[in-house]
Amino acid sequence: MTSLEISELSVNFGSTQVLNNLSINVKSGDFAAILGPSGCGKTTLLRAIAGLVTPNSGAIRFDQKLVSVSSLVLPAHKRNVGYLPQEAGLFPHFTVGENVGFGLSIGNRKIKVSERNERIREMLDLVGLSELIDRKPHQLSGGQQTRVALARALAINPAIVLLDEPFSNLDYALRVDVSEEVIALLKKSKTTSLMVTHDREEALVSADIIALMSHGTIVQSGTPQSIYMGPRSAEIAQSTGDIVQISAQRRPDGTVVSVLHPQPAQFDTRGELGALLIRPEEIRIHDTDKNGSYQRATVSRVKYYGHDAMVELSLPRVGPPEQTPLLARVAGPVEYVVGETVYIEHHGPIRWVSKKVTDQ
Amino acid sequence: MIRSSEELQRNSQQTDGNNPPSTLLLLAGVLALVFIALPIFYLFRLAIRSDGQTLSLLIFRAKTAEVIFTTISLATLVSLFATVFGVMLAWTLHNVKIPYSNLFRALVMIPIAIPSYIYAYCWLSLETLPRGYFSALIVLTLATTPYIILATFSAFARIDLAQLEIAQTLGNNPIQLFARIIFPQIKNTVLAGSLLIVLYVFSDFGAVSLLGVDTLTRAIQNTYQGSYDRSSAAVLAIILLLLSAVVIVRENLWRNESYQAKASTSITKAGKKYAEGKVRVLALTLIVGYILIALVLPMSLLVQRFFARERELDLYNIFNVTSSTILVSALGAVLAIAIAIPLALLTLTGSRLGKIAEWGVLIVHALPGIVMGLALVAFGSKFPFIYQTLMLLAIAYSILFLARSVGFISVSISRVPMNLVEISSTLGKNKRETFFRVILPLALPGILSGALLVFLSAMRELPATLMLRPTGFETLATEIWSSANIFRFSEAAPYALLLVIFSAIPAFLISRPDRRNSERGEIS
Repeated sequence: MTSLEISELSVNFGSTQVLNNLSINVKSGDFAAILGPSGCGKTTLLRAIAGLVTPNSGAIRFDQKLVSVSSLVLPAHKRNVGYLPQEAGLFPHFTVGENVGFGLSIGNRKIKVSERNERIREMLDLVGLSELIDRKPHQLSGGQQTRVALARALAINPAIVLLDEPFSNLDYALRVDVSEEVIALLKKSKTTSLMVTHDREEALVSADIIALMSHGTIVQSGTPQSIYMGPRSAEIAQSTGDIVQISAQRRPDGTVVSVLHPQPAQFDTRGELGALLIRPEEIRIHDTDKNGSYQRATVSRVKYYGHDAMVELSLPRVGPPEQTPLLARVAGPVEYVVGETVYIEHHGPIRWVSKKVTDQ
Repeated sequence: MIRSSEELQRNSQQTDGNNPPSTLLLLAGVLALVFIALPIFYLFRLAIRSDGQTLSLLIFRAKTAEVIFTTISLATLVSLFATVFGVMLAWTLHNVKIPYSNLFRALVMIPIAIPSYIYAYCWLSLETLPRGYFSALIVLTLATTPYIILATFSAFARIDLAQLEIAQTLGNNPIQLFARIIFPQIKNTVLAGSLLIVLYVFSDFGAVSLLGVDTLTRAIQNTYQGSYDRSSAAVLAIILLLLSAVVIVRENLWRNESYQAKASTSITKAGKKYAEGKVRVLALTLIVGYILIALVLPMSLLVQRFFARERELDLYNIFNVTSSTILVSALGAVLAIAIAIPLALLTLTGSRLGKIAEWGVLIVHALPGIVMGLALVAFGSKFPFIYQTLMLLAIAYSILFLARSVGFISVSISRVPMNLVEISSTLGKNKRETFFRVILPLALPGILSGALLVFLSAMRELPATLMLRPTGFETLATEIWSSANIFRFSEAAPYALLLVIFSAIPAFLISRPDRRNSERGEIS
């Protein structure tokens, strides 16, 4: 049970700034996901926490205890973190049991052989692989290797577990199962965990908090729902799901006007120009304009995914040209054909972003 | 077997490379460097002792100039012929459709197992051929051609077949393909190979002394033995050392430039081969011709001499000589590994001392055996307790063949995945524990191959052995050389056969195309 606190962390590789004044807090026992595109510095962040990369500035604290601040850096082997890299990274010359027991035998963790064996058993029971204790890593499947790596990381009773896209090497079907299982184990053991991923579904499903990372810094963090529902910018919105941007204007009184949000007085010169961020599932499609408040649109394309479908709609142009096509997600069978006229409404929160933010 | 340390560091470390060597490693590395530098230091001390008059007489007399010229011209011509011949053979084996091509590939490599002095021995045992410069030229060309074949094969293997196919679809004919795609990519590897041949001839002592050609090695031996004028011999040895150093530095530059990245992973495993009747006949003639002259002929001569001997086989002596050869070579191999491990680790850290270690290993790689012999004689005369002992001989072997073991060890250590090292540290192991529990066990096969290579190279070593062996101590190589020197060919035959059989082991290992040590065309 350890909290993690990172403040203003910067890491440079030569002249490239990989982490840039990054700050994040993870409460004790939480499972946090760092979500970001490849190359944004996610892995470097994990390696800095593990002590495998020396930061240029900033501080890392485990439970208010400094483990890394400018010149004072605790080496990796003294940090007591569990690390699951992309490949399981099992030692090929050891058996499963020896791998799990690798971190148990030395220094301040000196324990008796019987205790060690008991701990190995316990860990393998936890991941459900006790019968494979004498196998060599190459005799295991990908999913089994990941689980042994988890057992090895948990065996040392780590303060924090770090997961670097540990499931990305597994088949899709296996990935969902193994990740659910591993994350459930971590949550059950109440170990503070930090997982980096570029798979937004994995992050949304599993994490207690999500931190969105871009260009070496955290741009927004919060619960999965708050991140999904309240993105600060179009880019952030995009990283957790599909997004539609439509031009909008905000009046001095705070009301927002757009094609989907007509107000008695239409666009006028007073007010700030910007955009509305809309999730496609918030657009509802109707066959008729019942009470005259829906917007008329034409179906221009239908993408069918099986469990749902994305309907691309074109609107009569009112303001400046839109940056993204208008999309609506519909569940189940789709009866729309291209060219058909439909009526749409927006049924969801108003997410206003001013021009300055959308231009970023 | 020296590789560019930059490349290895890229493989072994993440971008942040802040991995300073530990105090223990620094200490071991400095000790190892002092160990390999000491003999050279004593060699220079010995040379400086000679007075100015003798020195100028020695350096500026016509005979010395002649010896240097002979050395350089012989090395250049052997290298030229071996290169042309070797590239032709390799190209043929690689590109022409011939039957039993795998067998032929293995057979052309076996001559690596035959030391030059055994070729010279066979040449003389025919008793009709003359000694002299041209004989040495032929003998050394036969002995060194497989090294070029090996280098060319590895260069061919690195050419991406997809590139060739793309070039073909872009309208290049076979000649254009060779000129524009193949040649530029194999050029540096082959050139580096030919420089190693130059080095081979520079340091060759057995063949030139048996065939009576006055190159520097023979001159050093004669000066040392004839007049016991160690200082003059040392001056000649330093000249040879400097020549070799120039060559090895150039070789290293070429080889480091030879690395080609593959543009893609080609699905096609083998390119199309030429199958016209005429080309195939020509190719077979070339290959079979080389195998007959360089392998079948000398081996049958050895066997014939073996059965034509007049006296009983002296089994007791054969056993004695073989076991002492094995003993002293094994001693050398163990010592070489002990020095090589800290040096390999140092070169991998990329620190300044690592760079020094890399250069040190490179320079001793160029050390001709005779120079090493003389240097250790100079060293041994200061430390009489070690002079004329097996230990001194083992030291000579360990330094002479150090580069091979360092190469093997640094490659196998750099191949240990970095993430395993990192995981070990997150699991609470410090650097030393990680080294002994993760890196060393995983690198062990490579370290053992390095040791085996030193062991087998030491078994055939001649000039340093001649100078340093304790009185009455013989190895297979010295037995062969002494008997052949006095034209007792039949007496040498059993020893020569034994030695070829022993040396065939690494030749076999190297010639297997799937082996990783042939990947970059290293000559061992």
